[in-house]
Amino acid sequence: MLKPILLVEDNPKDLELTLVALGKSNLANEVIAVRDGVEAIDYLLRQGPYADRAEGNPAVVLLDLKLPRIDGLQVLERIRREPSLERLPVVILTSSHEEHDVLKSYKLGVNAYVVKPVGFKEFIDAVRDLGVFWAVVNEPPPGSMKPKR
Amino acid sequence: MSRRAQGDAPESVNLADCDVEPIHIPASIQPRGFLLVFGGPEFKVLQASQNAVEFLGRPLDWILSRTLRQVLGARAAELILPSLKSISEDSNPRHLGVIPIGVEGHEESFNASAYALRDVRIVELEPLRDLSPVSFEKVYPLIDAFVASVQATRSVEELNRLAAHEIRRMTGFDRVLVYRFDADWSGTVIAEERNEVFPSLLDHRFPASDIPSQARDLYRKNRIRLIADANYKPVPIIPALRPDNGAPLDLTYSALRSVSPVHLEYMRNMGTLASMSITLLREGELWGLISCHHAKPWEVPFQIRAACELIGQVLSLQLEASDHHAEFERRIQLKSIQVKLLERMAAEDDYRDGLVRDPELLLGFASASGAAVVAADRCTLIAETPTEAEVRRLVEWLDGEVKKEVYSTSSLASVLPEAERYAGSASGLLAISISKLHPSYVLWFRPEVTQTINWAGDPRKPLSNQDDNVRISPRKSFEKWVETVRHTAIRFRQSEVEAAVELRNAVIGVVLRKAEEMAELTGELERSNKELEAFSYSVSHDLRAPFRHIVGFSELLRESAEGRLEPDERGYLEIIVGSAQQPGLLVDSLLAFSRMGRQQLNYHRVNMNELVDEVVQSLTLGTKNDREILWRVSSLPVVLGDVMMLRQVVQNLLSNAVKFSGPQPEAVIEVGSTSDEREDVFFVKDHGVGFDMKYVDKLFGVFQRLHRMEDFEGTGIGLANVRRIVMRHGGRTWAQSAPGEGATFFFTLPKGAAPLPEK
Repeated sequence: MLKPILLVEDNPKDLELTLVALGKSNLANEVIAVRDGVEAIDYLLRQGPYADRAEGNPAVVLLDLKLPRIDGLQVLERIRREPSLERLPVVILTSSHEEHDVLKSYKLGVNAYVVKPVGFKEFIDAVRDLGVFWAVVNEPPPGSMKPKR
Repeated sequence: MSRRAQGDAPESVNLADCDVEPIHIPASIQPRGFLLVFGGPEFKVLQASQNAVEFLGRPLDWILSRTLRQVLGARAAELILPSLKSISEDSNPRHLGVIPIGVEGHEESFNASAYALRDVRIVELEPLRDLSPVSFEKVYPLIDAFVASVQATRSVEELNRLAAHEIRRMTGFDRVLVYRFDADWSGTVIAEERNEVFPSLLDHRFPASDIPSQARDLYRKNRIRLIADANYKPVPIIPALRPDNGAPLDLTYSALRSVSPVHLEYMRNMGTLASMSITLLREGELWGLISCHHAKPWEVPFQIRAACELIGQVLSLQLEASDHHAEFERRIQLKSIQVKLLERMAAEDDYRDGLVRDPELLLGFASASGAAVVAADRCTLIAETPTEAEVRRLVEWLDGEVKKEVYSTSSLASVLPEAERYAGSASGLLAISISKLHPSYVLWFRPEVTQTINWAGDPRKPLSNQDDNVRISPRKSFEKWVETVRHTAIRFRQSEVEAAVELRNAVIGVVLRKAEEMAELTGELERSNKELEAFSYSVSHDLRAPFRHIVGFSELLRESAEGRLEPDERGYLEIIVGSAQQPGLLVDSLLAFSRMGRQQLNYHRVNMNELVDEVVQSLTLGTKNDREILWRVSSLPVVLGDVMMLRQVVQNLLSNAVKFSGPQPEAVIEVGSTSDEREDVFFVKDHGVGFDMKYVDKLFGVFQRLHRMEDFEGTGIGLANVRRIVMRHGGRTWAQSAPGEGATFFFTLPKGAAPLPEK
């Protein structure tokens, strides 16, 4: 089974558009959508509502920055602190290209930083490229969990 | 006192050599009385002046082995022993009274005085003689009257005259002078009373070497001394060294001390065979002397001398008091000026504006005729001063060499030779340094006062020369020597210097408070900047999102309804998508503009030719093939600036030029520059549609457009960016045009660009 893509997005409209875009990319990976930073961490650490989920890290985390409760940068920081997650591919997918956010994200060890384009075609292309790159093309880091092809 | 000149030119030996003569241990006394040194519990005679033999009628051998009681007799011993035991060391001789000496029935009366040195007591005895023009009974009323008239006297000059008059009346000297020391220990005669025997010496000045330093030290300690006859034969003290410790006898406090042969020669040169001087002190320091002269030998009896000494002390106190009074009044005056200056400083943003607001006030503070307030960024000159360049060099000197918070001199040229050129306006200088970090000074100037000094003889020719054996002797000639002192101003008073210290502290207080206010403002500014950042952060996230959603869902709708839409319905969707995209771009450029104002500038050397070439290349790639642009770029300077930001300036101006060159197939765009010593001026000139100068003010504003949207695309923020970037580099922007005649855009960059403070 393919590893899933974890999508962290609070805005329902962006969520829908991103899901459409991922759908158009014909990826076989399951997309798991969570709605804020706390939920994302619960999922990744298999705790709270996600305590019973099957073992294994997602292929990639698509992470929005502006999130309720715990924001994207804090989620990223938490991920990089966790030994089992420190090599997990994380892509920031956000509305802003505030220089401060870009710098901070890279400092915290993000793998890519993508600003959502306003144009729909560009948006579709961007999300599809991301999905394809991280879920298919990219060789994931060696870790305890080998992908089960 | 003689010495060989060992290779030195005789001229190099001067009276200052008197400074090394040990005049307090001459081992001899004047003959008008005799001296005995007593030691041990029984008051045995340790030393005696040779003339004790005559006064006591006993051989020296006998005297030197006896006790006080044996030598002076039982009555004298009873009278003086209790006092002798109680006197303390290092004080003026104590008068022990008139005592009878000798065998009962054949006694002679002596005035006895004594002083103490550790284990020994020195007793000086002068025979009682009535030679004075004023009888003893009248001394007390005279002093009483003197004190009364002193209290009624206001001016120092009058006081001095009065003292000279009284002393002369009591002593009968031919001439009585009041002599005041200057800072360099030369002295001036400031009051005089005399008969016709001597010429006047009023206002004459004597060089410091006339009264050498150890003589001044003796004057300070021993308040009166008399030389009754300059031709006296010194009486040796026997033995010459003290038998108890082998040291010469210290005669500092002695009334009979024999004076230096140099001084006696000096007296004879002056035609003065008798002299007396009374010390005037101010706060324990030698202030002056009352100096009495007589052409013939002249005795002044003990009681009269005591009275004169008292007058000297009264005068000293009075001088000190009136001095204090004058200083006090000046201090009050300075305080009030200082308060006014502070008020003005506090009222201004820049304290220095407050200082110079009322020039009379600033000048009055130091009784100056000119002033300057100097810092790196300003130099304000008030009234009579050297030129700005000279003042700046002076400040450099103060900051580099003097390094004092407060500095004053009355002859700047004597410490800074180049100041001779502007001695006319600034011979006197009072300077306070406000900041150590950035040289910042307030200076007051006083003009040169050309002084004419009447020296009593040429002070530079004090020697008499015998072969190669230079014999130091006082001047033989007292002909008046007139000297003009140049490059000297009236000295700054102690109260003025102290007030300057206070003013400095006050100014620093003001500066600190201003700095605090500034820090508070900066804090506020930082807060509002943070808010602005939060605002723009929110805008960049939340304002872009809805447009993205509009575009996204419109596209989804078009896809899913593709077959069912009428052509005009598809047109509506296109308009929706197109309109939603525009504000997204606007938000982006607006945010970029706002960031521009906050971003730090990174200064580097930027080759403007390379920059322009790069931008031209990128623009050429972007232009349509049907348009040919002829770039005429002249040689441009290398500037200091932030290369990323300057690229935006060039990018905006060149792309504007391309855009507004319009539809003509061949457009010429010129890029060039001119320079002066302050700045480089760049221009970009097109030959396109141009604009009406009426609207030039709107050109550089945010979202200002001079052309219809559909004619020339753009967000209307490009030139606002240009202006903002150039301003942050410390430069200016402007434009020149007429409709249809093309436009020229200018911007300047200052040379050696000092970046504006980041606020």
